[in-house]
Amino acid sequence: MAMRDLVSGGAACAVPGSSSSSNPLGALANALIGSSSKTQERLQEIPTATATASDGNLHAGMGEPFNAALPGSELEYMHPNAQGSEFLRGFHSMDQNRFSDAWDDIQRPQIPHFQGRTGPTNLPLEHARLQQDFDGPPQKVLSNFLHSFLHSGHGTIPFRPASLPVLGLSEGDKQCIRDRSSIMARHLFADKSEEFIHTQVNALLSSLDIDNDIRARGPIPGRFPELEEYWTESQHMKPLSGGADGWASEFSQQLVPHDNPNMWAQSFERQHGANGWASEFEHYLPLHLLFLEKSRVHIDADEYACLIFLAKFQEHLQLASVDQMRATGVPNLAAMEQTRMLAHTLAQNNDPKFQNSKFLQFVSKMSRGEITIEDNQFKPAGISAPGDWAAEYEQQHSGGRSWADQFSNEQASSDFPKDTMNTCLWQKANMFRSFTSMLRTFLLRFLVLIRDDILQSAKIFSDLTILTIQLSQGPHGWANEFATEHGQQGSTEDEWANEFSKLNVNDWSDEFERQVADGVLGDSSGDNWANAYDDYLNEQTALKQKSDASRGVYVFSDLNPYVGRPNPLKEGQELFRKGLLSEAVLALEAEVLKNPDNAEGWRLLGIAHAENDDDQQVDILDLLPLFSLRWTAIAAMMRAHEVDPTNLEVLLALGVSHTNELEQAAALKYLYSWLRHHPRYSTIAPPDQPENLYYADVSVYLDCNMHVNVHKLGYMFMVARLFNDAAKLSPEDADVHIVLGVLYNLSREYDKAIEAFQTSLKLKPRDYSLWNKLGATQANSVQSADAILAYQQALNLKPNYVRAWANMGISYANQGMYEDSIRYYVRALAMNPKADNAWQYLRISLSCASRNDMFEACDSRNLDILQKEFPMI
Amino acid sequence: MATQLKSDALMEQMKLHMSTDAGKQLTKKIGLVYQINIAPKKIGFNEKSFVVDLKKGEVKEGAYEDGKPDATFSFTDDDFLKVASGKMNPQIAFMRGAMKIKGSISAAQKFTPDIFPKPSKM
Repeated sequence: MAMRDLVSGGAACAVPGSSSSSNPLGALANALIGSSSKTQERLQEIPTATATASDGNLHAGMGEPFNAALPGSELEYMHPNAQGSEFLRGFHSMDQNRFSDAWDDIQRPQIPHFQGRTGPTNLPLEHARLQQDFDGPPQKVLSNFLHSFLHSGHGTIPFRPASLPVLGLSEGDKQCIRDRSSIMARHLFADKSEEFIHTQVNALLSSLDIDNDIRARGPIPGRFPELEEYWTESQHMKPLSGGADGWASEFSQQLVPHDNPNMWAQSFERQHGANGWASEFEHYLPLHLLFLEKSRVHIDADEYACLIFLAKFQEHLQLASVDQMRATGVPNLAAMEQTRMLAHTLAQNNDPKFQNSKFLQFVSKMSRGEITIEDNQFKPAGISAPGDWAAEYEQQHSGGRSWADQFSNEQASSDFPKDTMNTCLWQKANMFRSFTSMLRTFLLRFLVLIRDDILQSAKIFSDLTILTIQLSQGPHGWANEFATEHGQQGSTEDEWANEFSKLNVNDWSDEFERQVADGVLGDSSGDNWANAYDDYLNEQTALKQKSDASRGVYVFSDLNPYVGRPNPLKEGQELFRKGLLSEAVLALEAEVLKNPDNAEGWRLLGIAHAENDDDQQVDILDLLPLFSLRWTAIAAMMRAHEVDPTNLEVLLALGVSHTNELEQAAALKYLYSWLRHHPRYSTIAPPDQPENLYYADVSVYLDCNMHVNVHKLGYMFMVARLFNDAAKLSPEDADVHIVLGVLYNLSREYDKAIEAFQTSLKLKPRDYSLWNKLGATQANSVQSADAILAYQQALNLKPNYVRAWANMGISYANQGMYEDSIRYYVRALAMNPKADNAWQYLRISLSCASRNDMFEACDSRNLDILQKEFPMI
Repeated sequence: MATQLKSDALMEQMKLHMSTDAGKQLTKKIGLVYQINIAPKKIGFNEKSFVVDLKKGEVKEGAYEDGKPDATFSFTDDDFLKVASGKMNPQIAFMRGAMKIKGSISAAQKFTPDIFPKPSKM
């Protein structure tokens, strides 16, 4: 395969417009794959970024000298095993900064010489800002790269393809990247032409050696209906297997014989399915693209290497498909050409041996489990477990002659210089295990980072989570795999945290250095910043964070004692009645796991969360090591909504939740739906209008920030008017007034909202949630004293109403009565330690009350101390 | 108004807040003028400006006319909400590029989450 050929055979890997003849890939690959001792020098040697990307934009070609300097060239002092460990060592000990610096400099053609990060002057802040919102420290390769891609839309210059180092992105990753980059591109470059988008995406993909075939699941209109279907299907959060069907079978029908070099790939493909094991990765890594847009993500060199490395494997499996695409006339020359070359060289290099190599067989096993072929029809992958992959590999690896050994033996006799790249790549087999763990680490970090609002798309996040659930819950669940790998369950979180912390240290120090150099800090002492950064790390490693995206996803708690019980719904209802909200949540989770179509289960789950003030909680860190996310009120509700889109209570609850989160468009949509699905009022709501007015709410799932524009504002008024009409129609209907109240909250017409709630309270005086709504409305219109009275009513009716306790705290705090607010927050948190907002507010109140002595207790979430110190009077 | 931001809600609450006792305390405690530029998606694009005048005790939309604000901040919509609610430490926000600052650093350092009233949840 010759990444080498690929790279040095410049033209082959060239995408029109790029600096093709040079070999940045090789150089960078060197830099990465080189031994640790060589790293520094290597990097120093990375030549000037020749500004072929003359626009100072995103990628620049690099000079020639390193054509020869491929990883293989270091083989003279390494033999396979040593090489493997060298590689490993190189990665682990590599100063990630330098690596990133290297990449930075490739990215920034204006900077003539690469230098290590000797000081901030090398990477002037302006430069960072030119690129994008770097938050300072050097970005890692992929993140930089993708970052650049994402921002290329802002410049007028098309994104330059870059050759990236030989560090495998798994096939699934690639597919994901491909798919998501298409999506992202469409969003990012929405104002540009389709052509532009296409070019950009191609450039990106070819640089990452991803072939941009029709499986790019973006809305490529018309050409590939089966893909559209797949696309649509996947948008509905269905398991991948469902969607893959159509595509896979369509695909198989297009198999066309090809010349020899590709035959192996093709036959392999045929045997093992195009989409199989890749699919489980599908949704993961491409999420890079999403978070990278706003990211402060630092992908570690190790991680990146891991990803790229994995991608290489997948690539080969993709090759057949590339040919198929060609057969069907898909014009996607650059990327495809590149991959063809790759396939070609690969096939050639190791002809029969490689083809039959255990490696390929092994790789094939990834999909094998779920893929069968029957009469030329693929049975696509079910829930393939990436864990299998690693496991499989391990089996093979430890069983006598690992493919790696085999391969390296074969290689030993072959022509080194020519195949060095190839050799290196495949000989790194013994790093596989490390890669998987690195990959996991990466994913952990990744997912932690996306827990910020960075992740734009609830939908995609949903997919991810669903996927992870599926993976974690299958017999070969990744969770198990990882657990096994590490020999212990549950420690992975710590490991991750440690790794993560470790990985960030350099970032911080560089950032700090730079800030100091730029005089930004002013008088602030380094200590403050150190503390601040520690906090940052803590924040990153702290358990709870909220993410808008999390709403769409519901992930179950692990170790749920209610799973397996005969009637969890009943238990859940009982617990809910008793006010044991957290327990109720568990029971209800068990219920919906058992009966996913039980809308009532979902609804109650959502309500339980909401009342527990869990609106937005997603505990990704819990998720990752053990693959369990916590269900959020909104997520649960949305699931209920999915199951039964006409359920009014669910619609209302969703409307309320979104209103709380200031998501106007989404809230409107749900409230409007409420009206439309209400048997009595549906006639008021003209069914044909919404389409005009839903405007961008399709992108509740897909879009980034929702901006309620003038149209929506108008929409809101219209909806309000409709509700008013409904209210007039049925003045005895408390629900209409409730919805009206929520609506007015949305439009911040608080007086009207209060009026509406009061009306409904006359009709439903024992509805505790209604009292809370009233209170919240009053609080938000700064009538805090009234609010407190309302909350008190709510609490009289339901003493365990966590949300009301928290709201009490907020109202006291807003009035400056910090000591009181602390008590209420603590009370709320005692009932539900997972109410993140409350923790944050508590901290603020502690600070305002000058109780810094309690910071530590707060930060460590030590309820015992806090409760002792701040008992409810 | 071209776009509506989530931060609009917070700013409005802040406006109302200023007329309460607690709000008046703020003017005594801080006594500075902040301008906050909030962009829907990306800092610097389509920004809406707010002036949180903790000298006079008012919140207005638009840029500061009566001279120069003591500090000017730039956020995206979501980031501002995070900082104001205490989810993101301002220093961290700054380091991450989520918050841009112009003007007096010491004034900027007084910009903390406790300035802002918190929203209640229905």
